[in-house]
Amino acid sequence: MKNWVHAFSVIDLISAGILLTAVSMNAIRRLESCVKAYSLNSWLLSLLVAMTALVVGETHLYIASLVTFLSKGVIIPVFLRRIVKQMKVTREVEPYVSNAMSLTISGILVAIVYGTLKQGIFVTGFSKNVLQISIAVIFIGLFIMITRRKAITQVIGLLFMENGLFLAGFSLTYGMPTLIELGVLFDMLMGVIILGIFAIQIKRVFASADLDKLTTLKG
Amino acid sequence: MLPVLLIPLITAFACYAIKSTRWMGYTSLAGALSLTAFSIPTAVSSISSPMEWMGGIFYMDALSAYMMALVVFLSLASAVYSIGYLEHEQKVGLIDRKGVGRYFALLNLFVFTMVLVTVANNLALMWIAIEATTIVSALLIGLGFTKRELAIEAAWKYIILCTVGITFALLGIFITYYASTAVIGTEGALNWTVLKGIASKLNPATMKLAFIFVLVGYGAKAGLAPVHNWLPDAHSQAPSPISALLSGILLNTAFYGIMRFVSIVQPSAGEMFTGSLLMIFGLISVGLSSIFILVQDNFKRLLAYSSIEHMGIICLGVGIGGPAGMYGALLHILNHAISKPLMFFASGRIQGRYGTTKIENVNGVLSSMPLLGILTFIGALSLSGAPPFNIFISEFIILKGAADQNLWFVLGLFLFFAVIVFYGILSGFGRMLFGGAKDRDPISHGSGADEKTPPPPGKPGRSGLSEEKEAESGFWTLCSNAVMIVMALLIVVLGLTIPDFIDSAIRASILALGVK
Repeated sequence: MKNWVHAFSVIDLISAGILLTAVSMNAIRRLESCVKAYSLNSWLLSLLVAMTALVVGETHLYIASLVTFLSKGVIIPVFLRRIVKQMKVTREVEPYVSNAMSLTISGILVAIVYGTLKQGIFVTGFSKNVLQISIAVIFIGLFIMITRRKAITQVIGLLFMENGLFLAGFSLTYGMPTLIELGVLFDMLMGVIILGIFAIQIKRVFASADLDKLTTLKG
Repeated sequence: MLPVLLIPLITAFACYAIKSTRWMGYTSLAGALSLTAFSIPTAVSSISSPMEWMGGIFYMDALSAYMMALVVFLSLASAVYSIGYLEHEQKVGLIDRKGVGRYFALLNLFVFTMVLVTVANNLALMWIAIEATTIVSALLIGLGFTKRELAIEAAWKYIILCTVGITFALLGIFITYYASTAVIGTEGALNWTVLKGIASKLNPATMKLAFIFVLVGYGAKAGLAPVHNWLPDAHSQAPSPISALLSGILLNTAFYGIMRFVSIVQPSAGEMFTGSLLMIFGLISVGLSSIFILVQDNFKRLLAYSSIEHMGIICLGVGIGGPAGMYGALLHILNHAISKPLMFFASGRIQGRYGTTKIENVNGVLSSMPLLGILTFIGALSLSGAPPFNIFISEFIILKGAADQNLWFVLGLFLFFAVIVFYGILSGFGRMLFGGAKDRDPISHGSGADEKTPPPPGKPGRSGLSEEKEAESGFWTLCSNAVMIVMALLIVVLGLTIPDFIDSAIRASILALGVK
């Protein structure tokens, strides 16, 4: 049963999918598609945890997989989609840099991460690629946060960062104890909900969903 | 122990359920009082003998007790101040009844999360609590008050920057977990009590990497430059009692996380590594903030930059290390937690009366409100580091620590910046305190309005209208004066002597951090 996971390098395949969905954020123009990319990313993440659970055979990993799927794969995307609808924002993402440019930069980021983590102070016996991919996803998330104009895209960038972080923690130590993981997820869920509330407030007060308007406070 | 965590939670729900706004305030005050009553014995007993609860999830030693005492003290001060403050804000129409309920509920939740940070034994649980403080306080900054659009901008920046920062801190914690499971397996591998024992066996390279992530992550939350951008916005836009809590203790709870990490990383990675990183961050913070203090024209932002400066000094003290450096840093945490909230409380009163936060629009506070003026003056002198006030003492001890270790370059740079700050703060507040009182209607100006009315020179006395307004908010005056007088007295006393119980608490905390 475990053999096919190894034989087809399923774990590497899934993590490549996680990287691809993160990179695809650079080329997506519509906000709904961004949310879709995020949910796909989360589903792959939870699938990866489930596959590892199959290999290692630990129950708490199955729980982690299920909780990840429910919170990141279902609740948050549904919530984000409602916010996007409610705000009636123009659907375009409107990045500061062109798609081609940001794709290139993401590629460079991935290359840098692979280059620097190659010699490896981490020996996990897990997979050669997962740690690198997770760090790359964190940086791509950060890059998306910096270069997008809409409040919601910043939130999605943050969520990609957190998926990357989750993956990093997972590849290092097979995840944290279940209780801690639940706490982290709860914090994240609360954070997203509150960011959603603020995004709506920004839209209401500044009559725009662009963060360009938030430049009064400085100095 | 358990009551200390439960009381703020129960109070939060009670405040939300109560109908009358006055009673919400009193409930919150009762909660803060009983929290004080329960926490004092717990703190005192844990200073002499550390204790664990619930199978090692919670742990209190002298350092946690010290930080918890500060959280409790400031929550009590804010609870008293908030009653009058919110009554005033409600009268002026800045907040409605529902908003008041939400405010008090969130205030108590905020206290709960900060207490949780101080008693968490598990590093990841501490992370969860610190992230929770961000979420709750962002709501306190951004919601509830009408006519404060900028507060939403501040809250957005705050939550985004701090969450991104703290995400990196979590990566650092994962890496620590990786390092410690390699030594002892998964059982209790993130517990501070366990890590303390095996710190010297951890892989140095891994721990260095972890420390960098944690320093950047928690540093963003603690307001260390260059990741401080959220701080001036959040502190200047938050309601005054919340600014006091943010500045006085929230920054320090994040820094408490860094201090815990330093003591885990030091045995394997060496004092040089953590010390020099902390000193660099500290000096950048002090230097950068000194420039902004010098050119600042908004007094709440000036106070916010002063917080960055003082966090930089604390960071510097821990970085210098040794008994003197650590003692100075811990004492500085206490001193800053008294002086800064005093100033934010006072600035809330000034803002309420003058309807502005611009320094140039405030004039002659000493002659129009003598008591408030004197209290502000004491606070400003203390913050600027003038002797014989409390902050001078702790800065002096940190300088002594630097001299002990022959860090003359650091010492010189610090002194240079301290002089700039001294001038910046005193000139800013000097312009507000001295001069003739201006004749203005306190509520005709929207808050934060930046109209440029030239100060009418030499026109002492007040108009009948402002007299009346002053009387109307007499209750606020009473509450805030009571709090501020206590704090000003503490500033003066701590400037003259360090009481024995504080001294022994700090010494025990230093031992708990493993500094000999």
